[in-house]
Amino acid sequence: MVWLTGGMFAIACSMIVALLGLILYKGLATHWQRSFVFIPLNNGELEAGEVQSSQPFNISRQSIGSLDEKSREKAEEILAGRDQADSTQLYLRTGNYDVSSRHFAFVPYIAMNIRPDDLHSGKTYKPEEIWLLERREWGVLYGFPSRLEQSFAPELDSRFASLKVLIDNLEPLLPAIDASSLRTSASPDLEKEWGDLLDAFATELRAEWEARLIGGKASGDSVHATVDASALKSAVEESQRRQSKLLDQIETSKQKLGRLDRQLSTSRIGVRKAEIHDGTDLQSIADEATQIATATSISEASWLEWKASIQAWKKLITQPDQLTQLERIEIAAKSRFDDELVPLSSTLSEIRGRLQTLPATSRRAIETVIEVTESASRLQYVLNLQIARLEAGLQTEALTLQVPSLDWLGEFTRNGTKIASTNGASFPQKTSAVDVGSELAKLIGLDETGAASTRSFEQLQLGPTQSMLTIDLPTGIKRFWLADDIEKKLTRVAALREKTVLVSDIVRLVEPNRLGMIGKARLYAIRWGEFLFGQPREGGIEGGLFPALWGTIVMTLIMSIAVMPFGVIAALYMREYAKSGLVLSIIRISINNLAGVPSIVYGVFGLSFFCYTIGGFVDGGPIKAGFTPWPSSLWFVALMVTTLAGTGAFFLAALGSGSPAQMSPFRKRLARFGGVFWLLCLIGIISLIVKSPFFNGFYEATLPNPTFGKGCLLWASCTLALLTLPVVIVATEEALAAVPNSLREGSYACGAGKWQTLQRIVLPYARPGIITGFILAMARGAGEVAPLMLVGAIPLVTELPLDFEFPFFHGSRSFMHLGFQIYSLGFQSQNSEAAKPMVFTATLLLLTIVTLLNATAIWLRARLRKRFQGSQF
Amino acid sequence: MDRLKAIADGKHVESVFHEEVLQEDPVLRIVNFNLFYGRKQALYNISMPIAKGKVTALIGPSGCGKSTLLRSVNRMNDLIDSVRIEGDMLLGEDSIFAPGVDVIQLRKRMGMVFQKPNPFPMSIFENVVYPLRIDGERNKQRLMQVCEQSLRGAALWEEVKDRLNESGLGLSGGQQQRLCIARAIASDPEVLLLDEPCSALDPLATGKIEDLIERLKGDYSILIVTHNMQQASRISEFTAFMYLGRLVELGLTSKIFTNPKLKETEDYITGRFG
Repeated sequence: MVWLTGGMFAIACSMIVALLGLILYKGLATHWQRSFVFIPLNNGELEAGEVQSSQPFNISRQSIGSLDEKSREKAEEILAGRDQADSTQLYLRTGNYDVSSRHFAFVPYIAMNIRPDDLHSGKTYKPEEIWLLERREWGVLYGFPSRLEQSFAPELDSRFASLKVLIDNLEPLLPAIDASSLRTSASPDLEKEWGDLLDAFATELRAEWEARLIGGKASGDSVHATVDASALKSAVEESQRRQSKLLDQIETSKQKLGRLDRQLSTSRIGVRKAEIHDGTDLQSIADEATQIATATSISEASWLEWKASIQAWKKLITQPDQLTQLERIEIAAKSRFDDELVPLSSTLSEIRGRLQTLPATSRRAIETVIEVTESASRLQYVLNLQIARLEAGLQTEALTLQVPSLDWLGEFTRNGTKIASTNGASFPQKTSAVDVGSELAKLIGLDETGAASTRSFEQLQLGPTQSMLTIDLPTGIKRFWLADDIEKKLTRVAALREKTVLVSDIVRLVEPNRLGMIGKARLYAIRWGEFLFGQPREGGIEGGLFPALWGTIVMTLIMSIAVMPFGVIAALYMREYAKSGLVLSIIRISINNLAGVPSIVYGVFGLSFFCYTIGGFVDGGPIKAGFTPWPSSLWFVALMVTTLAGTGAFFLAALGSGSPAQMSPFRKRLARFGGVFWLLCLIGIISLIVKSPFFNGFYEATLPNPTFGKGCLLWASCTLALLTLPVVIVATEEALAAVPNSLREGSYACGAGKWQTLQRIVLPYARPGIITGFILAMARGAGEVAPLMLVGAIPLVTELPLDFEFPFFHGSRSFMHLGFQIYSLGFQSQNSEAAKPMVFTATLLLLTIVTLLNATAIWLRARLRKRFQGSQF
Repeated sequence: MDRLKAIADGKHVESVFHEEVLQEDPVLRIVNFNLFYGRKQALYNISMPIAKGKVTALIGPSGCGKSTLLRSVNRMNDLIDSVRIEGDMLLGEDSIFAPGVDVIQLRKRMGMVFQKPNPFPMSIFENVVYPLRIDGERNKQRLMQVCEQSLRGAALWEEVKDRLNESGLGLSGGQQQRLCIARAIASDPEVLLLDEPCSALDPLATGKIEDLIERLKGDYSILIVTHNMQQASRISEFTAFMYLGRLVELGLTSKIFTNPKLKETEDYITGRFG
């Protein structure tokens, strides 16, 4: 028997350890940077990627059917006549999804043109020059750095942008200027003359820009990788700093735009509220007013731009006749804008006149809309211009990499000799185009006649028949793949495909094969930091999970606040006040059973009760929640009657307070009847509130868009509070039951009342148990997913439920949740293979939170228990 | 033994009182008191005076209702739903069981010490001043004064005066029981009810408690339930012998133990039954 029980115990233990170990290993390994390897394949192709793991590969007739001839030969060797045999394959993370349409690849050992062991020995197959780019879109990109192209965008300079406003908008003014005979007298071709001035200014700016360029190697606006590539790296990093500044500015402007949008929609909701309040129809007048106000403020804003432009020009030009011209232009522009503005403002005052006939609330609402629209659209105009300018700046810096995807160029006859004596030869070797071989030179586009101009090159032998050729060309370093065909005496040539990415798209630049242990550890820490505190990218597959972490924490907190008083008070009543009997036993059993109800049932209940019924009631009153309101006079009478009856019943019930030993049976019965009747009246009043004809919801104006009438943080917390209520009640009851009766009696004997005894003796004594139950409930709630799918968790949010924006807590927002994230990443995402690492990390994080909560419970219990048993306070 | 047999048969039997008892000035009078647990009667028509400033011991075999009677005095039996009573008790001139009596005020006029020491999970200081705390007393000086006075009264002051802020649960069993006595006398009660206060203690601690009771008599009127005949003879002035819910004999302890009026009492005391 001891063997049976012990064996079962061992099985249970090992299963738990295996589960935790898997999550721990997978989760912790996700952010660890591994080496990037090059694998030459038997068919001449190249496979490359980060080695994730080795996996078993089953060789059978079927599985090798699609392989090339040489691989099949190897497979036959291993099979040796059998039907199937075991081998190994490598699981590679290839990245470069936008180039090769895949994230991962499996490479069987038999398909490799080298001995698999060679991959890990030495640095041959781990090219040090490889870069890894973590991008905002499309995931990671691996490639060899080739060049950084930087183009000059004068618009990024605010002075230039301001000056350009005048040139761009000169055209419509020309007739007016012509009329003032400016063109004929002072300058025959105004546009050209001023355009030249602007160009001259641009040239100045360009000179400044070129001086700032790193490396100064501004041939054709690009910096390319020199042999050591470190100059390129620092150039890219410098460029990244510039771009991230731009990105920050764009982000800030977009946030401002978002705020303006919210202001506008709030003012429109104000109009809707006024409509409901006054019973008016304001839609058409509001639309008209908005339109006019928008036009007015855009016109005003563009006039301000004009003025700024003219000021800028005034600083630039010196000659008196040009100044005169400028003044004329200013006058012409002013009159033009006046022509635009006058009709607009008259329309606006006409609208305001019409407003006088409206009720006060409606009038105020429309005036608010006009006011908000005027100020908001002016700012919107400016911000949009600014964003366009900054976004143009994002396009100016691009990095070109050569990725390990091959474009076959052709083949040439090999003359038996290699291009150069290869591995280990000192690098860079100098060669001329002719040395490379004329056929090869032609294939790779080297100028044959440019024999005099020598190039640095390197040829790295990879495996018996393949090699990589690196040549330093004026347009950047280029790499080619050479695959020898020994039988045909041919060499096939492929170029590594080029891929250009905007520097602004790069989140992080890593050189995976140059990192030492310390570098990897640093990178690991940085990635974990990003994971914990960053925003998600790529639909949550990459980047951080902060919103999910935050959502989980906030939801758990709200849930705790909701469940705690209910659970404890209910348990107090059941244990301390309620008379034990059949009813109480049934209730207690029911509560215990509630703990076993599948959580999805709570989800369904939460959706229908909290979201649709209560949420609908809050949003749009009884009708929205699906109740028919009573006629108002009947309702009023019913409310009066119920309230009076309820008050009477309350006093009747109060007869029952006092010592039961002295009470006559009639009084007892009367008191009990009063209590029941009082409860009935309470239910009646609640149902009357539900049927109220006077309440139309707090968010009537935003309907049909639901505010609280949908899944959101508040209802999710309430649903989980309901789910964890049995845990809290049972734990509290047990804690109360564990308080020795002698303590209660001692307290009563001292002349303490019931509540004093509860408050001073029973509750403090039961506190460790209550808190433990409470934290266990929190842990259960934090780990629960199924109900959340129905009541408000979504895979990606842009707004947090608790943030720095007034009123700080937004209960009506949807939220991200770690548990739900595991589900949605693993089973709902388009690329679940790529999301797998994130699933494990999210699981690890969730487990950590739950474990921490449980550990806190245990610690707290031990501490409080010691406090009551030990001698120290 | 006819008397005991009559009692066992449920017949009415008059209690026997010594005349010394009736000469005393009573602090508490029990008048025709009956108590029922549901349908089962536990106390039958008990009447007796409790002498002021003296120790009265209740003795009798297990289940004879000593503790029930004691717990009725401060109405601790109210906590049990099925209990019903008839008759009354008078504390001084005030009825205990009349309708409308404020039980809480009543209990404040009595102190009670239980069989097992039950100090509250608080500091020694807070344990002693608990009766004052529930009355809302906040004056630190007054609390301190009462604490010292009660602890001195319970002969515990010298042992705990340096650790008043430590938990009362850290004391030894005898100390805990004296702490409970200190708590019981903190509200300066008229009657002190002791429910087998020494039954959970070792002989040494018992001795100390007995010394304490010796000292307390005079200041307090004490009603003590005990199983220990020697204890009753050592510390009490009066002894009441109870049997199956009836009061059999009440008199001076010296007389009860040496020269009882009833043979049944003598048999019990000499250990011939019970």
